[in-house]
Amino acid sequence: MQFSSFQEFIQMGGYAFNVWSVYGMFAVFLAVNLLGPLRRNKQIIRELKRRYELNAPAQSGASSANSSAESVGDSQ
Amino acid sequence: MSKVQSTLIKAFVSTLRRDLLIAYKKKNDLFNPFMFFLIVATLFPIGISPEPEKLSEISAGVLWISALLAALLAMDNLFRADYEDGSLEQLMLSPHPLYFLVLAKNIAHWLVSGLPVVLVSPLIAYMLSLPEGAYVTLFLTLLLGTPVLSLLGSIGVALTVGLGSRGLVLAVITLPMSVPVLIAGTLAVTQTQNGAELSGFLAIMGAMLVAALTLAPLASAAALRISVN
Amino acid sequence: MDWTWFHKWGSPKWFYELSGKWLPWLVGSMVLCLTVGIVWALLFVPQDYQQGLTNRIFYVHVPVASISLAFFPLMAIAGTVFLVWRMKLADVVVKVAAPLGAWFTALALASGSIWGVDTWGTWWIWDGRLTSLLLQFFLLLGVVSLRTALEDSEGAARACALLSIVGCINVVVIKYSVDWWNTLHQPSTDFSIAADQANGPEIWVPLVFMILAVYLFFAISLILSTRNEILQREKRSQWVMELVKRS
Repeated sequence: MQFSSFQEFIQMGGYAFNVWSVYGMFAVFLAVNLLGPLRRNKQIIRELKRRYELNAPAQSGASSANSSAESVGDSQ
Repeated sequence: MSKVQSTLIKAFVSTLRRDLLIAYKKKNDLFNPFMFFLIVATLFPIGISPEPEKLSEISAGVLWISALLAALLAMDNLFRADYEDGSLEQLMLSPHPLYFLVLAKNIAHWLVSGLPVVLVSPLIAYMLSLPEGAYVTLFLTLLLGTPVLSLLGSIGVALTVGLGSRGLVLAVITLPMSVPVLIAGTLAVTQTQNGAELSGFLAIMGAMLVAALTLAPLASAAALRISVN
Repeated sequence: MDWTWFHKWGSPKWFYELSGKWLPWLVGSMVLCLTVGIVWALLFVPQDYQQGLTNRIFYVHVPVASISLAFFPLMAIAGTVFLVWRMKLADVVVKVAAPLGAWFTALALASGSIWGVDTWGTWWIWDGRLTSLLLQFFLLLGVVSLRTALEDSEGAARACALLSIVGCINVVVIKYSVDWWNTLHQPSTDFSIAADQANGPEIWVPLVFMILAVYLFFAISLILSTRNEILQREKRSQWVMELVKRS
């Protein structure tokens, strides 16, 4: 342990601003690039769910078969 | 074999001739990059300082950056008109390797937009009080370096040829790629001032030119195949 | 030689399912490495006799900077795979790697310049590494802006793949030319504190933990964005419909 008190730890031997700003940016960077995609994933699933539900009543019997054929074509 | 070669040479020469002819007919395109080069170079003494001592320090860099920007501006009419009137597609449908046709277009384009800039550079260099004895270096490095800028730029243009407004995208793609040329060109001027041999710098720039001549048209041709579809 | 493993990678569905299984393990090991690394680096690493406690910045800067150099090679390889085998997954990687790389490069630049405040007495210096990293940042933004400008997905995918390959060659040329420029213009500032510092295990073991943590983070973030992109691209396919309905 390099520090004898919490106060000393925060002060970082006079380099508080430099050290903590870098670690702060690192934390923001981690948060943005982890939580961002995770939130986006939920959002996409929600959007797709709504989309499918909107489309579902319109499709009946023949048209649903048609749409699955279309989906095969799309994935190519 | 020799017949294939001769038709290839014919195609190469006729592409070159066609582009030069078009440029000659549309004199605007001929003079725009050139004028742009003059104007940008004029802005530096006004913006920084008219003192000869200060100017002589920055003059090589100013000339190089102005040439770079002029090359970027000129890039816009490399494939644009041909793309719009459909002759680019015709070119790509021809049986000859696109590599050589793109190379011909690049050479024609440099002759029209790059060479005038190189030729006028000693005059601007004088106005920017370039140190005496740096003229030859500057002229030769510009002569070797501006074709590299054109060749690199043509990759970016080929990638963005289908875009409506591509000014910024083209700049963002092309300018960082031109940095090695800029470095070699300005270092040649400053270092020969300090007594370094010119031949080494010319060899480096020559190597860059050879590499760009062989690789850049390949990339441009591939890019054209992607964006013209 | 059996190539099925290779072609499996081309299947977005297969990747989505497999990466879903990997993610908890990756996140778990990242959290472990990150906690050990940060606590060790901040609390226990001895002061540097020259830099004092600013050597803590080193533990963020070095891992981030080292991985930001990997982005162009990664994108060039993925781009080649996409152009040669038309593997859709490779294009997804090219697409999500570019903005992520811009993030990593920006953080490497920012932490490098903050670290440099004490070494050089100024925030920014045209040091060789910082300069070439800055140019790499611009090139990455170029790839991102090309993708946004060409909205058409198939053309944009191939254009970006090509630009990644060209950019990768260029990053190498830029690196050498900037180093050359730098050595001729000023006495080279010794930024290789890494070499000085790697003298005792109490210094480099936490660094290894941080490097592992950042590499894992890179993998996790890349996988998460890739999964999102897959979901959007495959939204018309049966397996995505089923997946969404199950959730």
